[in-house]
Amino acid sequence: MSLSPVLRKVFLVDLVKGLKVTFNYQKPSEAVTEQYPLERPVIYERYRGQPRLNVNPDTGESLCIVCNLCALACPEQLIVVKGERNPVTRRKEPVSWTYDLSRCMFCGLCAEACSTDALELTQDYEMALYSREGMVLDQAALEHGHEPVRYAK
Amino acid sequence: MLHAIKAYLSSNVTPGEAGDYLWATIYILLVVIGISLAVLAMNWLERKILAHMQIRLGPMRVGPHGLLQPVADAVKLLTKEDIIPDGADKLVFWSAPVVVTMTAFTTFLVVPFGRTHAVTDMNIGVLFMLGISSLGVLGIIMAGWSSNSHYPLLGSLRSSAQMVSYEIAMGFAIVSAVLMTSLQTGTGTLSMIGIVEAQNAQQTWFIFKYFPLGFLAFAIFAIAMVAETNRAPFDLPEAESELVAGFHTEYSGFRWSLFFLAEYGAMLAVSSIAVTLWLGGWLRPFPNWLSGALWDLAFSLVPALSFFVLAGLSLLGVVRMPKIPQFRAQTAGLLMFGLLLGFIGLTLLVPAVRVRVQDIFWFVAKVAFFMYLYIWYRGTFPRYRFDQLMKVGWKVLLPLGLGVVIVTAVVGVRQELWGVLAGVSR
Repeated sequence: MSLSPVLRKVFLVDLVKGLKVTFNYQKPSEAVTEQYPLERPVIYERYRGQPRLNVNPDTGESLCIVCNLCALACPEQLIVVKGERNPVTRRKEPVSWTYDLSRCMFCGLCAEACSTDALELTQDYEMALYSREGMVLDQAALEHGHEPVRYAK
Repeated sequence: MLHAIKAYLSSNVTPGEAGDYLWATIYILLVVIGISLAVLAMNWLERKILAHMQIRLGPMRVGPHGLLQPVADAVKLLTKEDIIPDGADKLVFWSAPVVVTMTAFTTFLVVPFGRTHAVTDMNIGVLFMLGISSLGVLGIIMAGWSSNSHYPLLGSLRSSAQMVSYEIAMGFAIVSAVLMTSLQTGTGTLSMIGIVEAQNAQQTWFIFKYFPLGFLAFAIFAIAMVAETNRAPFDLPEAESELVAGFHTEYSGFRWSLFFLAEYGAMLAVSSIAVTLWLGGWLRPFPNWLSGALWDLAFSLVPALSFFVLAGLSLLGVVRMPKIPQFRAQTAGLLMFGLLLGFIGLTLLVPAVRVRVQDIFWFVAKVAFFMYLYIWYRGTFPRYRFDQLMKVGWKVLLPLGLGVVIVTAVVGVRQELWGVLAGVSR
C-alpha cells in the first residue's frame, strides 16, 4: 500500500481492510467455541481432579493397605483412614475412608505418598454440588469414582 | 369478499391511491407483522453473524442452531418485571417508548415494497419519511429526561446532538437524489414510487447516475443513516462503556423491548429509503438491459430458488446434527423449518404468486443487504469519540453533501447552461 495518507482517508482504505478481516472470519466450522456438555475438553494427564481409590481389577478388593501415608502427607489433614488386619490373608484392609473434598486443594501430595498407587487424582472435573454434605467422600464413593453428568434436554 | 379480493388482485395501484380502506388496513397489519418478524429474524441473525465474526458460535441451545432464541428472548422480556423509577415522570416515561415505536412503524406507510405493494403512494413520500423518522429523537429525549437519572439524560443529549447534525447531511444526499428524478424526464417527484419509476425510466439506479455523484450521495446517506439509528460505530447514545445503556438505562421488560423494536424498525426504515432512492427499490437487476420474456421468467424464479437454497442449508444442518437422543427434537424442528422454507419456495413457483411477489423479494433482498452491513459495521468498527463524530458530521459529510447537491444541479442542467453561456459569449 503506497497510497498517500490523504487518499487512504478519502477512500476509507483502512475501514475496508477491517471489514475484509471480519468478513473472512465468518466460518462457523472454525469457531473455537466448545459446546460444553456435548463436546468435552481434552484434559491433560497431569491434571489433578476428583480423587479415586483404585481397586484390583481382577479380585475387586481395594489396593489400599492402610499405611496412613496419605493422611500424613495431606497438608489439610482431610484424609482419615481406619483399617484392620484381615485374619485370613494377613493383609490390612480399610474399614472406613473419608476424604473431605470441600477442603482439598488438589496438591496431589496424597497420591505421591501412596505406596501402592491406590489413591489417585483423576482427570474428572465435574465436582460441583448443591450442598457440602456430599463433599465428604467415603470409600464406596472413592472407589466408584465420579460419573460425569449426562445432560438431557 | 371474493369480489373484493378479485378487485384488489387486478388493481395496478396501491390501496391508498385506490381509496380501498379494507385493503389499506390489511396492508398496515401485514407491514406491522412483517416488520416484527423481521426484527425477530434480525435479532437472531445479528447474534449469529456477530458471533461468527468473533469466531464464536452464537446461540446454539434454544432450538436448532438457536433459531428459537428470539422467541425465548421475547417471552423473557414480556414476563419481566416492569420497573418505573421512583423519581421518574410517569406519563412521559410511559409514553416515550410508544412515541419511538410509533414513529419507527409509521414511516412504513409510504415504503413501496412493489409497484402496488405499499400502503399508499404519498406525493411527499420522502419528506414524510424523513419528518416522521426524525420525530423518533423526540421519544429518545423524552425517555432520557423522564428517567430522572444521569446516564439516560447524557445519552439522550448525545442522541439529539448527533441526530440533528447528521440529519442535515442526510437531507442533502436525499435532495440530490430527488433532483435526479427531475433530470432528463423533467418531472421531479418526492413520491417513493415515483422515484423508483424515475429510475426505471432513466434506465439506471441513481447510485450509478452521474458517477461519482450518485455514489457520493449514496455514501453520505449510508454513513448518516448509521448515525441516525444510533448504531455502531456511532452508537454513542447507548455506549455501554460510558453510559451503561444510554437513554434506555432505566427501562426494563416490555418497555425496553419497545425500544429494541423501534431501533430495528428505524434501521429497516432508513435502509428502505436508501434502497428506494439509490438502489432502484423493487426493480429487479437490469430491468431494461436484460428485458424480454425469457429474462423475466429467469429473474422471477430467483425468489423461489433462494428459498430452495435456504431449505437446502437447513436440510444440510439436519444431516450434520449430532446423532444422539437429546438432539432428536432439535433435528425434527430443523427438518420442519427446512420443509417450511421449501414449501414457501414451491409456492413462489406458482406463476400467479411469482409475478406479484417478486417485487417484494427484490426489495427485501436489498434491504437485507443493508441489514447485513449494519451488523458487519458493528462487528468491525470501534466506536467514534464524540468530537470525532461531530467532526465527521459537520466538517466532512455536510460540505460534501452541499457540494454534491450543487454539482448534481449543475450537471443536470448542463445543456441549458451551455446554451446560456453560448448566448452570453455571442
